[in-house]
Amino acid sequence: MKWRIQYLRVEVKKALVLFPRMLFQAILLMMIIGVIAFCGVRGLERDPLAASIDIAVVVQEDNRMTQMALAYVENMESVSSYCHFQQTTEEEGFDLLRKGKIAVLVLLPEQLVEGIMNGRNPSVDIYFPRNARLEAMLFRELTESGEGLLRAAQAQIYGANDTASAYGLQEQLSKMEAEIDSYNLAFALDRMALFDTEQVSVFGSMNVVQFYAASGAVLFLLLTGMALYPVMQREPTAIRKQLERQGTGSGWQCFSQWFCAVLCMGLLLAVLWMGVKLAYRWLPDGFLAQIREDRADSGFLLPQIMLAGLIVLSAVTIVYFIYSLTGSRTSGILLLFLVSVVMVYLSGGLAPSMFMPERMQAVGRWLPTTYLMEAVGNLLTGRNKTGTSQCAAILVLSTVVCGMMAYVLRRREE
Amino acid sequence: MITVTDITSAYGRKQILRGVSFTAQRGECVGIVGANGCGKSTLLSVLAGTLKPSAGQVLYYGRTAWSDAGSGRMRGDREVIRRMTGYVPQENPLIPELSVYDNLRLWYPDKKALCQELEQGFLHRLGIEAFCKKQAGKLSGGMKKRVSIGIAMAGMPPVLLMDEPSAALDLICKEDIRKYLQIYLERKGTVVITTHEESELSLCDKLYVMREGKLEQVDRNLRGEALTEKMQIVTS
Repeated sequence: MKWRIQYLRVEVKKALVLFPRMLFQAILLMMIIGVIAFCGVRGLERDPLAASIDIAVVVQEDNRMTQMALAYVENMESVSSYCHFQQTTEEEGFDLLRKGKIAVLVLLPEQLVEGIMNGRNPSVDIYFPRNARLEAMLFRELTESGEGLLRAAQAQIYGANDTASAYGLQEQLSKMEAEIDSYNLAFALDRMALFDTEQVSVFGSMNVVQFYAASGAVLFLLLTGMALYPVMQREPTAIRKQLERQGTGSGWQCFSQWFCAVLCMGLLLAVLWMGVKLAYRWLPDGFLAQIREDRADSGFLLPQIMLAGLIVLSAVTIVYFIYSLTGSRTSGILLLFLVSVVMVYLSGGLAPSMFMPERMQAVGRWLPTTYLMEAVGNLLTGRNKTGTSQCAAILVLSTVVCGMMAYVLRRREE
Repeated sequence: MITVTDITSAYGRKQILRGVSFTAQRGECVGIVGANGCGKSTLLSVLAGTLKPSAGQVLYYGRTAWSDAGSGRMRGDREVIRRMTGYVPQENPLIPELSVYDNLRLWYPDKKALCQELEQGFLHRLGIEAFCKKQAGKLSGGMKKRVSIGIAMAGMPPVLLMDEPSAALDLICKEDIRKYLQIYLERKGTVVITTHEESELSLCDKLYVMREGKLEQVDRNLRGEALTEKMQIVTS
């Protein structure tokens, strides 16, 4: 044990000797990521979502009822402020959709209104472009919720009809239907709902600044691993042989390196945090206010410190594992950069995962960076206690798995 | 003294050492020469305990370092190997970012003993205290090799194993290494050295030529073309 402790002491000393250089590199990296994130957030703030959704409607017959229904929908206050309708032929509609000039193409069938009235319920075909933009996705959400409402209303009518038939209450049926209609219309056409503000965000429970602060922090943690390379690199063969002769095996060597990396990362973050505290007054007020916005102070500092510690452990272990896959400094640093950026992207750290194809979203759910971002977000907002404990459990698991794989890889090379 | 009996070793299917045997007495220097890749470093790795042999026995001063004890399964006593041998590998076991003193601290856990060694012990004879505070990565090749020997000498082991200690060193450094070996031998230490240097061969009491994993003892005074010829005959 004496030799092992001695090795650990020497490794810690090496880490401390290298610390100023690591700190300099980390500061440089933080400034670069900070500037990129700041510009990104400012860009998002200046460029609000384009409100108008261009919709092409194909009316397949010259039907007065259909035109009236369409005009009614078009002129509804809630619709006209967000949607711009244009009537086209089917061919023109598909052409516009292909060129990306419209977000949605709606094909109205013949006898649409009559069909609704007589219960035949002809289907309306709605087409979205293959690579749907935000407007199209928003319209799809609205359509699906509208369809849900109609389905519920229809089920209510059929239910009432069946009940009336079963109990011989046919004369009451029209009254029941009128009641159901009035309820549904009151719900669908609630004017007060137009003045409610309900914020729906792709960033979940975070605001845009908190979201990018969280993803930027995770990217920073991983990329800071580049500065930590000297403490995580494999010992030269000659030293490894001498250490083994002493009884200091590869397991202890791995642990010592990992421990020093955690120590360095912890120290780096502590120093940088103090630096940010000192520079507090020079940071833009709006930026800080948005980070602190809606922060729920739990009052308990210990769980937050433990969560912060777990985030550091997990990030360092991921970096240690990545370095174990390569044999040289250049390839290690390149791989770390590539893997970090790709993982953060797939986890929805650069653009929210909502905007990504479903397959990429599915991959993102398996990546530790997703949970690192969630944990940092929870640390910033102080909310979502249940989510935090689940997230912490996954981070512990990923730390153990990455650590074991790194050990196996390093041992196998020997 | 060292007794090596029928040591065999293999990397996968490739047999590197085939029944190597030799002995070395206290205060004796054994030289091993041979073509590159013939198994010299493998033999030293086995003797230093960093490579497990497939069969055979190694004794240091009568204490078993490696043995299959008739069971067919090799067992090594790391404590015996560590206490009885000092190992100077081809590459220097130094952490370049740290000072020489910090590097030595890794192998000399007792601070007092290290200071004593630096002031009046073998490390002093090696002249290490003069550049003790320098960063290891900034030392010359000769200085690094001196520190490597100093590391191997931690605990003053009775056996010193040296793997081509003069490789890539200038003439002055080679002469220095020879001088330090001389001091160690005068202290009745036993040295096993693999080398291509004739100057180091002059220290050897026994000389072996290794070929295809086997050792053959030759005349210790054999030098120059005669030795090269012998090696070529042996290796052909």
